[in-house]
Amino acid sequence: MPLSVDERWDLIDRISKQTVEFGAYKHTLKDAIAELTVKPLTGLPVAIAVIYGFWSFFCDFAGTLFTDGFMVKLFDEHWLPWLQSVFPGGLGNPFYALMVDAGHIENGVLVASDNCFEAFGVLTSGLFVVFGVVLWAILAFYLMFALLEDIGYLPRLAVLVDTVLHKIGLHGYAIVPTFLALGCNIPGVTATRTLETRKQRFLMITLLSVFVPCGAQIGIMQDLVPEMMGWIFLTLAIGYLGFGFILNKIVPGKSPEIIMDVPPYRMPVMKNIVSKLWIRTSKFLLVAVPFVLLGCVIVGIMYLPQVGAMDWLATVLGPFLMSWFGVPGETVSPLIAGFLRKDLAVGMLGGLMEQGIMTTFQVFTSVVLLCIYFPCLATFALMIKEEKWKEFIGSIASLVVMVLVYGGLIHVVGIMLGVA
Amino acid sequence: MNEGEEKLGQIYFAILGAVALAFGAAELIASASEGFTWGILDSSGGADPMFLPWRAIIILSVGFFYLSSVKNFAEIHQLAKAVMASIMIWIVAGMAIWSRIAGSIPGEETWFNSLEGFLASYAPPYCPEMFLLPFSLVIVYYVLKEKETEK
Repeated sequence: MPLSVDERWDLIDRISKQTVEFGAYKHTLKDAIAELTVKPLTGLPVAIAVIYGFWSFFCDFAGTLFTDGFMVKLFDEHWLPWLQSVFPGGLGNPFYALMVDAGHIENGVLVASDNCFEAFGVLTSGLFVVFGVVLWAILAFYLMFALLEDIGYLPRLAVLVDTVLHKIGLHGYAIVPTFLALGCNIPGVTATRTLETRKQRFLMITLLSVFVPCGAQIGIMQDLVPEMMGWIFLTLAIGYLGFGFILNKIVPGKSPEIIMDVPPYRMPVMKNIVSKLWIRTSKFLLVAVPFVLLGCVIVGIMYLPQVGAMDWLATVLGPFLMSWFGVPGETVSPLIAGFLRKDLAVGMLGGLMEQGIMTTFQVFTSVVLLCIYFPCLATFALMIKEEKWKEFIGSIASLVVMVLVYGGLIHVVGIMLGVA
Repeated sequence: MNEGEEKLGQIYFAILGAVALAFGAAELIASASEGFTWGILDSSGGADPMFLPWRAIIILSVGFFYLSSVKNFAEIHQLAKAVMASIMIWIVAGMAIWSRIAGSIPGEETWFNSLEGFLASYAPPYCPEMFLLPFSLVIVYYVLKEKETEK
């Protein structure tokens, strides 16, 4: 016989009296620390310290130790000269240019490259970008991310940024896809499934694909323009919040409040960290390696004098790029490569920088443009899968508007400051 | 913790807080210019000057945390502030040490650094957080005392 509502409550009372111990709960030190890290006045300085630790570790692990310490030597001093000496064809041969070294013109003469950023070959630039730079950046990023996750700090960060993210139609947990996208945009876009409404998902996916650079790209940027990183991130953060605010006003739909469960701090388990690191890094490499190598092939073919596509594009788009964004026509090739892999594209900018084609401000604008102008092909494909057609077209339209407006705005600021 | 330990903690962390504030202010001033090196104290930001203002803000916060924890130091929430301040020092100083380790392993021209080069990487000058690090470890004693009380 079923119980009435009153009988059910009586039963709950009896069970709770037998099982629950009532009394005053004394706060432990762990509780007090947990509280401090979610209160804005004390939590924000702690968040600044945690992000500092995250970023310092990332730079020294990926940049100083592995890329600059060992990989640059391995690729530039051993791998590139060896390939240049044994690969058939030689400088000027189309297949050699595609696979090893396209070379560059100096005083009207085609000369061999002396580093893998300039070579543009599948076996040189392609492998260097993936295994010389990106792999270590991704490892460092996912290691720190897994640590923060398992310690229990991420939900606290979500509580801290909740108020700010509400201004752009999101809530604190949007920090999780944002952080994930800083590793790779693909898991970031996938993680938007945790957001409640279609509006929030649309906002998040659009902002991620434009203003959040992936770990691979950050790794290359850190290697090429370390002195500009602060400004680049500041520019991207302003764009993320500014355009998020505008999109929130324009896009119809709801942005509901949520109640967050904040777990206690825990000691991370090494086995879990290692398995997360392995799963995320291997998945990333499976996606990244084919796209980087394919990117090298496509860009290499377009660069071939026999094809002449890159010269033609640079001539056609050069005036627009120069007048609107203030960057030279040569930037067109990294922009095309960026559609396949942005890390490869930033690497190509490195080649242009070393040839002295761009001013410092043009390098800054080009790096920001590469971040914001279009998601990489893998993210693009995932956007089609994750969004409805109407939303996808909306995302692309917003993206084009944002790039034109923000890219132009950066150029205007440069002119006003007298640096563009 | 007993009254004597509380009193000692108050005086100790008040001094440490004041020193941290002074270091933070110095780093903030240094970040506005090109930084400075004074004897064994280095506030130049090294290879990455963008970290200098960031570090200055953290160390200033550490100073405020320590100083605000002094009143009623034995109370759990006050003690937690001192613990957080110490953790923040461990993060910044830990990263400074890690930076030296990362830079000391590979050589300039060779794969690995020479023994002399390796050891030279750890020579002074040091950033202010490295000087605060050993003094911040005193908090471990108070944490252990608090754990005893909790039991």
